[in-house]
Amino acid sequence: MANSRYDLVVIGSGPGGYVAAIRASQLKMKVAVVERDRPGGVCLNWGCIPSKALLNSAEAMETIRGASREHGIEVGDIRFDFKKVIARSRAAADKLSRGVRFLFRKNNIDLYEANAEVIGPNAVALQAVDGKPALEVKQLEGERILLAAGSGERLFPGMQIGDGVMTSKEALVHDSLPASVAVIGAGAIGLEFGYFYQAFGAKVTIIELENQMLPGFDAEIAEELRRAFVKRGVIVLLGHGYKSMARDGDMWRVTVEAAGAEKSVEAEAVLVAVGRAPLSAKLGLEKVGVERERGGFIKIDDSFRTTCPSIYAIGDVGRPPLLAHKASGEGVAAVEIMAGVRQPGFDLLSIAGCIYCEPEVATVGLSEADAKARGIEVKVGKIPFRAIGKAVAIGHPDGFVKLVVSKEYSEVIGCQIIGNHATDLISEVVLGKTLEATTAEFGHTVHPHPTMSEAIMEAALAAEGEAINY
Amino acid sequence: MSNEIVMPKLSDTMEEGKIIRWLKHPGDPIHHGEPIAEVETDKADMVLESFAEGILDQIKLKEGESAPVGAVIATMRGAGDATRPSAAAEPANGPSAEARSKPVEKKSAPIPIRLKTRKDIPAAPTPPPPSAEDGDPREEVHPAMSSRRSAAPTAIPMPPRAPAATLADRVEPSADGHKFRASPLARRAAEEAGIDLAAVHGTGPEGRITKRDIDNFLREQQLFRFRRIVSPREGAPGSHEDLSRMRKTIASRMAASKREIPHFYVTMEIDMAEAVRLKTSLAQAELIEEDITYNDIIVKALALALARYPRINASFENDGITIHPNINIGVAVAVEDGLVVPVVRGCEQLSLIEIAKVAHRLVAKAGRGGFTAGELSGATFTISNMGMLGIEHFAAVIVPPQAAILAASAIKDRPVVRDGALAVGKTMMATMSCDHRIIDGVVAGRFLQELKRFLENPASLLL
Repeated sequence: MANSRYDLVVIGSGPGGYVAAIRASQLKMKVAVVERDRPGGVCLNWGCIPSKALLNSAEAMETIRGASREHGIEVGDIRFDFKKVIARSRAAADKLSRGVRFLFRKNNIDLYEANAEVIGPNAVALQAVDGKPALEVKQLEGERILLAAGSGERLFPGMQIGDGVMTSKEALVHDSLPASVAVIGAGAIGLEFGYFYQAFGAKVTIIELENQMLPGFDAEIAEELRRAFVKRGVIVLLGHGYKSMARDGDMWRVTVEAAGAEKSVEAEAVLVAVGRAPLSAKLGLEKVGVERERGGFIKIDDSFRTTCPSIYAIGDVGRPPLLAHKASGEGVAAVEIMAGVRQPGFDLLSIAGCIYCEPEVATVGLSEADAKARGIEVKVGKIPFRAIGKAVAIGHPDGFVKLVVSKEYSEVIGCQIIGNHATDLISEVVLGKTLEATTAEFGHTVHPHPTMSEAIMEAALAAEGEAINY
Repeated sequence: MSNEIVMPKLSDTMEEGKIIRWLKHPGDPIHHGEPIAEVETDKADMVLESFAEGILDQIKLKEGESAPVGAVIATMRGAGDATRPSAAAEPANGPSAEARSKPVEKKSAPIPIRLKTRKDIPAAPTPPPPSAEDGDPREEVHPAMSSRRSAAPTAIPMPPRAPAATLADRVEPSADGHKFRASPLARRAAEEAGIDLAAVHGTGPEGRITKRDIDNFLREQQLFRFRRIVSPREGAPGSHEDLSRMRKTIASRMAASKREIPHFYVTMEIDMAEAVRLKTSLAQAELIEEDITYNDIIVKALALALARYPRINASFENDGITIHPNINIGVAVAVEDGLVVPVVRGCEQLSLIEIAKVAHRLVAKAGRGGFTAGELSGATFTISNMGMLGIEHFAAVIVPPQAAILAASAIKDRPVVRDGALAVGKTMMATMSCDHRIIDGVVAGRFLQELKRFLENPASLLL
């Protein structure tokens, strides 16, 4: 067993922790990672990866179902084995989790499968976890400690998981298809699972307290998405607050309230998707003077340093947005700042947000409304996909690209996309933001034809009143 | 027919200007917007540009010489075409291609010129005259005033030179052969601020210059100037220095103020605890890019108070009292050789954020020059803030013809009595110097009470 003294002890091996550990090892630090569950964290095991596998199955389902209508391809009775759909998703997660173990070995990173508690500015106590190998080491010493403990599913008071009431974690292993599902919350997780269950034939009702889907996102995008869901047959209840739920025979009766009037939604299963909360409570932080802010997020500075100078925090446990790629980016930034090879600071406005239902939604930076609230004068270039040849050819003419551009320097400060493969398109704009590109660079870069990416070029031109195809 | 070029009045207080350097010589052709000469005024060094086309005929004022405003400093003649059609003749002849794209010159009228910062000379080559198709009538009259962006033939803004560089970083040799790279945004921001990119330290990958580096560069320049002004090594013992134009202006105006204006002073201690909280919470909310300063907060409070006490927003002129329709607040800013007072105009219409934006832009300009004449004139009230120097209390000299000036001191922890008990409060001493010919003690006192009320209840500043 390795010596228990390290340059860096990372708590958590999710997309923040494991990426930070590898980068730290590359930068010649001796690194330990403590993980109480499976390497890879929520992302690999209970989030991004298995849910994308399910959504991919849903997409296959939709394609086959639309084959006759759209392509003239006759398909017989469509039958499916829902257990196999779930099993395929688990297999993807397992494969990638094993991959993380391999990466740790390859980079000489010691993995401790245990619960971690910070007991000093440089000390982490380990406690055994049921079902994991016994611990040979009870305590790790770290020159620095990096908190990357992630987040857990939020529940409303009184909510009990089980017996058909699920968070995304239970839904990912629930291998019988419910006939009807009530989804509480129209954020990313609620919409992705809502889309998934709908595609396999469940009757889906989405309940959201706010008056738009994806609260906080561009309102036009949210409305376009709502229309797409309704067209598909999903019942969308906006402005409806969750009150309570009760068992009623084989069904759940969910009581919601809108403008003082109550109504109830009956469903065989309930998916609770009302957000996630940082897992900062059980790390022993008070004792070492690590302060937390409202919502349980750990207070950090520009260098990801907490209020205890030897302790750093990244990812969901530090601050929103709660996104895997933000955690990875912060993890790399934090250890590079520690090693002195990077300036402090991290641009959260260059972190894209992606929703993988169909149509996909992808955004980065400021929306038009955000910019106005900040007093930034903007012009907006908007291009509907129906003006783009490829989108029409592949039968996905719905949706649009909005590019938000500062009037001052024509800097591209935000982008919102809704449509097929939106999440693949957004990276061009993210790169552009990193490079501080203006509409000139986007507009004058010749985009290959026919591709969906032409919409971004056209949107840049549109912001200057020079769109060619629209 | 020759046209006269006169010394223009570039600010309220300018009486004369000095030619630093002629950029054109007799016989040189002059195009629209081309710099003709660098001129030192009481406010700043500025560049004169021609609005007309022609050939420089004769220089009447040598380099280093001064002339009063309105004096002829040079003459121009038509561009080698003595029979150039006059404005009146044109309609009959039909507009020539030249006339369509160029402003019509008036015979014998002084040639309009405009000012630019001296820095703009190397950084910004003269934009081509915009064509009439550009559609902006303002541009037809004042081609040189048009921004580079609107003058560009395409609405997609591009630097006029080396358009290919917009596709990728330009690796560009500077004067000493040193290479540097910059993002498109940094390039554009530097261009508009008149900064030579070679002077900027890049902190991006491989030393790439980003927008943040430009912002930091501007801020450091400003701090550097501040340090210079408070540096004790200014002025060698036993030396004598000629007054710069700026010092001359300060000397004559401040002496005139004390000579003519019967000053009186009122001071009030203002509890700034809530204002401190407002500033902190605005910073933490991270909703706005501007860092709101205490000065911005005080300017906004002043604007509200002045709106209620228009008599403070006044001037003693021609044996009468003029109450100004707009609230234009001058903000005194220290610079290398004295101070400038850029003006935040129309404060009665501006939100706190807008005030902050305008004020910060102006303060940044104080560090690097580049004021337009309008930015340094027309104040109806002035604030002098020495809070950053830890000053306990001071009184300022009124800037004529304004009625009053506010001296804002440092916000300090001081003992205060709250609900009968001693507590530690954050307070600021505010002293207003008033022109007794316009304002009496009671009005001044009420005004300060009003200012205090807004600053102690700063939620009002956000409405």
